[in-house]
Amino acid sequence: MAETTKGPASPADIASPAIYLDGIPHEGFAAIREVDGLVWHPYGDEGDRSGFWAVTRHADVREVSKNPDTFSSAIGHTNLWDLEADALEARRSLIDSDAPDHTRLRRLVSRAFTPRTTRTWEGMARDIAAELVEDYVADGGGDWVEKVAAPLPIRVILAILGVPTEDANYMVELTNYLVEGTGEGSSLPDDAYGNSTPTRLLPFNSPASHALYEYAEKMRQLRMAEPGDDLVTSLLEAEADGERLTAAEYRNFFQLLVFAGNETTRTAMIHGAMAFAEHPDQWARLQADPARVAPGVDEVIRWASPILHMRRTASRDVELAGTWIAKGDKVVMWYAGANRDPGAFDYPDRFDVGREDNPHYAFGGGGPHFCLGAFLARMEVQVLLEEMLARNVVLAPGSEPERLASNFVHGVSSVELAVA
Amino acid sequence: MSEQDGAERVSMAVDEDRCIGIGQCELLEPDVFHLGDEDAISRVAGGADLSRSRALELVDRCPSGAISIVELGS
Repeated sequence: MAETTKGPASPADIASPAIYLDGIPHEGFAAIREVDGLVWHPYGDEGDRSGFWAVTRHADVREVSKNPDTFSSAIGHTNLWDLEADALEARRSLIDSDAPDHTRLRRLVSRAFTPRTTRTWEGMARDIAAELVEDYVADGGGDWVEKVAAPLPIRVILAILGVPTEDANYMVELTNYLVEGTGEGSSLPDDAYGNSTPTRLLPFNSPASHALYEYAEKMRQLRMAEPGDDLVTSLLEAEADGERLTAAEYRNFFQLLVFAGNETTRTAMIHGAMAFAEHPDQWARLQADPARVAPGVDEVIRWASPILHMRRTASRDVELAGTWIAKGDKVVMWYAGANRDPGAFDYPDRFDVGREDNPHYAFGGGGPHFCLGAFLARMEVQVLLEEMLARNVVLAPGSEPERLASNFVHGVSSVELAVA
Repeated sequence: MSEQDGAERVSMAVDEDRCIGIGQCELLEPDVFHLGDEDAISRVAGGADLSRSRALELVDRCPSGAISIVELGS
């Protein structure tokens, strides 16, 4: 195996966004998992020098995730590219923080996303799912993304936030532009939406983030004047250890929620529907036994792996999987690799709703950055499947999916399915 | 340590300074752990116990490392 400046060279490219136009490179991940220790993967302008350690085995992802003092979220960036200090500071959110900042922020927002709070939204989510599924069936199928998988999560998160339904399409438009920022770059001019902030200071380098900030501010003023029974109000009122969210924290968190509460769950619903269309035997198992739906939801989420990776940066020299990592090195947890690791899953390449134990890392590797919306995402996928089952909806394959050129989100922009 | 590991019952504790309210514990053992409505900090129901093996799993599954087993003096 070739030597690089750091260690053995990766036997496969898993970072070029264009690769993902053909789907997750599972064979490449398998080849990397099989190498002893960690491999060094080139990335970015300086190739080998700006590369990263590719962490693809389940146990190693866990090790990184559960040791946040060593594998920092606050240094460099949590995406593959580095940010300059001022950009990092301007964009800083829950995701890019370490303790004690992360602890404080997380506590401020956790109570809005507990299992019990999530259950209070179930009826609302179920009504939306039922409406979308009925319309989809009435249409005889069509683009699953446009008709079901995109509108369901965005309508749910906007209802939770207290954003008017008529703004849903605008929010979808903005988050679609954010995803572009993880691929080949934004197609928007820098001054789109009246933006005058240098894009390097904006999340996803996108002027769409400026538009989301403006929208967040509009919501803040509305709810300060007239509090409602919604998440924006409870965020503005949230207090932990006598502290509240600052204006910048609130704005960044609103932006994060609209993105993460929408794009990721959408992606899970897309890959779930595609999987059930391709594996009707698995759908039949859910039809035969409704108790299978809950574990089936986790299999959908493992299969989808909506977020492909998160990056950490070593805060000290450390050994991982027998490889020495130097302080300052990028260490990237590839959930897409861990979720197909035969060391953690029997027949990992099989879509199997009958898995008894499903320790997938689609919500993160088990450390403190564990997905804030995990219960919400599970609940949404579950009510969608249940509303489909209640109407005996059976999906069948239609067109090939149009996939995104993104190494960060396992995105699909459209896929035609048929109602069998 | 007991030789009959699976049968042994143990109590649990939550370090409130480490807990960040993720809720895995309440999801896995709703009779033992409750997140506060106001602060989302996990607390252990009075008198609740678990088998040692399940307790170890709960310790392991806590993302913030806030759960521990209370060793009773023998």
